[in-house]
Amino acid sequence: MRGSAIAYLLRRLAMYALTVWLGLTLMFIIPRLAPGDPIAAMVARLATQAGRVENSEQMIQAWRARFGLDAPLAQQYARYMWNSLHFDLGYSMAYFPMKVEDMVRAGMPWTLGLLTIATMLSFLAGTAIGALMGWPAAPRALRLALPAALCFTSIPPFMLGILLIYLFAFGLRWFPFADAYGHNEVPGMNLDFAISVIHHGTLPAAAIVVTTMGFWALGMRAMMIATSGDDYMILAQAKGLRPRRLFWMYGVRNAILPQVTSLALSIGGIAGGSVLVEYIFTYPGMCYLLYQGIVNNDYALIQGMTSILIVGVATAVLIVDLAYPLLDPRIRHGET
Amino acid sequence: MALGLAAAGCSLHGPKHDEDRAETVVFDLEGRVVAPDLWNPYVPGARLDQGLQQALIEPMFLLNTETGEIEPWLGLSMTSNEPMDVWTLTMRPGVKWNDGAPFTADDVVFTINLLLENGPSLLLSGAMQQWVARVEKVDDLTVRFHLAKPNPRFKLDYWSVKIYNSIYILPEHIWKGKDPFTFKNYEPGKGWPVFTGPYKLDRFNETTFVYRRDEQWWGAQTGWKPLPAPKSLEWVSHGSEEMRTAAMVDGSIDSLCDITLGAYQALEHFRGPEVMAWTDGPPYVWLDPCPRALEFNCQHPPWNDKEIRWAVNYCIDRDMIVAVAYEGTSAPSRHFFPAYPPLERYFRMIEENGAYERHPVWDYNPEKARAIFESKGYHRNRYGYFEKDGQELSVTITTHEAAIELQRVAQVLVEQLQNAGIDASNRNEAGGTWMDNGALGAFDAHIGWMACGSMNEPWSTMDTFNASWMMPEGQRAQFNIWRWKNLDYSALVDAMGRLPLGDPRIDDLYRRAMEIWLDELPAIPLTQARKLLPFAQDRWTNWPSKQNPYMHPCTWWQSTCKMIHEIKPVPPKPGKEQ
Repeated sequence: MRGSAIAYLLRRLAMYALTVWLGLTLMFIIPRLAPGDPIAAMVARLATQAGRVENSEQMIQAWRARFGLDAPLAQQYARYMWNSLHFDLGYSMAYFPMKVEDMVRAGMPWTLGLLTIATMLSFLAGTAIGALMGWPAAPRALRLALPAALCFTSIPPFMLGILLIYLFAFGLRWFPFADAYGHNEVPGMNLDFAISVIHHGTLPAAAIVVTTMGFWALGMRAMMIATSGDDYMILAQAKGLRPRRLFWMYGVRNAILPQVTSLALSIGGIAGGSVLVEYIFTYPGMCYLLYQGIVNNDYALIQGMTSILIVGVATAVLIVDLAYPLLDPRIRHGET
Repeated sequence: MALGLAAAGCSLHGPKHDEDRAETVVFDLEGRVVAPDLWNPYVPGARLDQGLQQALIEPMFLLNTETGEIEPWLGLSMTSNEPMDVWTLTMRPGVKWNDGAPFTADDVVFTINLLLENGPSLLLSGAMQQWVARVEKVDDLTVRFHLAKPNPRFKLDYWSVKIYNSIYILPEHIWKGKDPFTFKNYEPGKGWPVFTGPYKLDRFNETTFVYRRDEQWWGAQTGWKPLPAPKSLEWVSHGSEEMRTAAMVDGSIDSLCDITLGAYQALEHFRGPEVMAWTDGPPYVWLDPCPRALEFNCQHPPWNDKEIRWAVNYCIDRDMIVAVAYEGTSAPSRHFFPAYPPLERYFRMIEENGAYERHPVWDYNPEKARAIFESKGYHRNRYGYFEKDGQELSVTITTHEAAIELQRVAQVLVEQLQNAGIDASNRNEAGGTWMDNGALGAFDAHIGWMACGSMNEPWSTMDTFNASWMMPEGQRAQFNIWRWKNLDYSALVDAMGRLPLGDPRIDDLYRRAMEIWLDELPAIPLTQARKLLPFAQDRWTNWPSKQNPYMHPCTWWQSTCKMIHEIKPVPPKPGKEQ
């Protein structure tokens, strides 16, 4: 058994390395296939700010050399992979001399903070609603909860965001309509700042939670219905186990596995998350950076951001893969 | 979460001050600032319009687009020798950096040499390399520029805020020895960034920039100008137009960048006369310097035929474009100049010599268009489109993905061309791709503003059509992206370019060049560009307007430095606290 566990671990690690390498390679190739030259776009912007500039071709060549884009493609690829291995994301082309890692560092805590909390809340609420909906012994009133939750899933988060702003920021004035904290707050380990962040984060988080909760509920409900008809459930009922134990240990525990996989993928992909929500609420996260990278064809920024996304998703999947045997003994024994 | 964020260093940089809203002017900032701690104005990543070039940096001169005058600021005068290849700048005495160091000719010489040594990569360095052969200090307040070739517009184009900005002078005592490519110019402990403006940077994050008045500002100390009235200035980004408008309804912002008519009407509904724009009534707008045009690649058939271009012109109903795409907030255009007062005499000049009778740009006449197409061998096919040799007359008009205004224009235009028998369509392209395709000539037609340049004299824009800028398709063109080649026109424009500003010999050259341009119509003028810029008058007054045109109203330009000195607080109403 120990040998099979090690083989399982090695297989998963190899798959992890392959996924990351493939992802990084694709992210090197894809931006270069897109039309448009990042240096030309950057120089065009500079020239726009500079009045009459008659030597823009020289400017383009100078910047191309500075970013190493005049080197052969293979050399660029080798340098990119080497830098990626050393977590050196390089300089942004559109925002030079900003380093991509500094830009990510500034935006990531906000995006991770907002979206992780919103995703977890959405997961917990949706899964709970779905589990109760699919449980025959659940109160009938809860059956109304699913249609209500699903109703909001058809609204994009940014649309709901606008509605929430209208109702709760401008109408009732309960929450601020923009930013991550009050202009006069000094960030730090203090209660005022914490309250300000929570106050400012409530509406963006609500826009995400309310619009995504239904998906979790729907998935969990289907799995609970499938699980409740299994033989082991009938046996457990026949043994006279308490309903609460049946619900949690036999129903939810078995039904939740696909949900956990989905959660891992959602958390891993959080960086690519909610550009429009950040835009609507002027939230200082990193999704906006990715958008700017794409618009400006900023290879370094796109590669840096997507590297994080790739490593995030691959790591989350790896963790789930390694955690699965703990959740489901059948996997531990190599049955699936 | 909050504690984690603080620990991660996502901070609002700088000390906390509770600004009194009544003493603070809040300006609109379009979009988030991706690199907020970058205060080096010469690198590509720097934003300039978050207050850096309005509150901190002062220009040498300002071009007033209303009067056409070049107004002195840090500079007192800038004159050239007769061949216009040596320019002498005399600076105002008593100017100081906000750390107390004197602002001298050494700083100017240092800045220009820094640009020359690090060109062409830094902002404006390419232009300096192109023009400046050598710069020398004459005395503490006088600098002499020896140009590589004569340039009558050296002062106007680079030392005056003509469009958006001008040369930024840097303090030598701080920048000396720094790598201008990587130096961020931000060190709060040392009081950086240091410039000469009447405000100092207080704190910032990606969406909010706060500046506090420098009570020791040199201008007040020397008696040149009193301190500006606002104790604080803020530039705040509120994201979408809806949020920005809502912020003004809410009273949390005093000035907005461009908004739609619908948004302005909402403001009027909620705030009544407390909001104002450039004009009291419709169209409310100030005209942007870059009129909009349907621009062809004049090397691509059939658009290389001037008669075909004229036929397309006859298919265009500009009044409808203004009514539908602009909701009435712009004006039709029949030339490539912005309709600014200093240029009006040039407009009159071609009007009075009958150019528009010979070349009726505004004539919406599909019948005339049909006659031209038929004379060129086209006939209507069963789908209603013109066709020749089995090929339908079609055109894809490309637009910049971020330019919503131009996309609206394109949509109306497509409809008009379709009705006239041209299979027109509109395609949005990512900004970088659109610019690239334009420069490389990889387009048939697009809605553009590429003739931008003239503000108070006609040469800047006219030279963009000069054949000397022609590049073969596939090679990058800096100007004349339309690839229109007319040597007679170019010779006239070259002759204009050699004359000093305001030289009477320019007039005749201008008339003759415009005659050729109108006859050939390499780009079809559509509309003036517009900016609807609301100001709130409940806390601050004396905002610029058509009735009070002391300066143009664009708060993202460097010329805002003058507006900051002009706006005044609204006196508190008796018995009511502000």
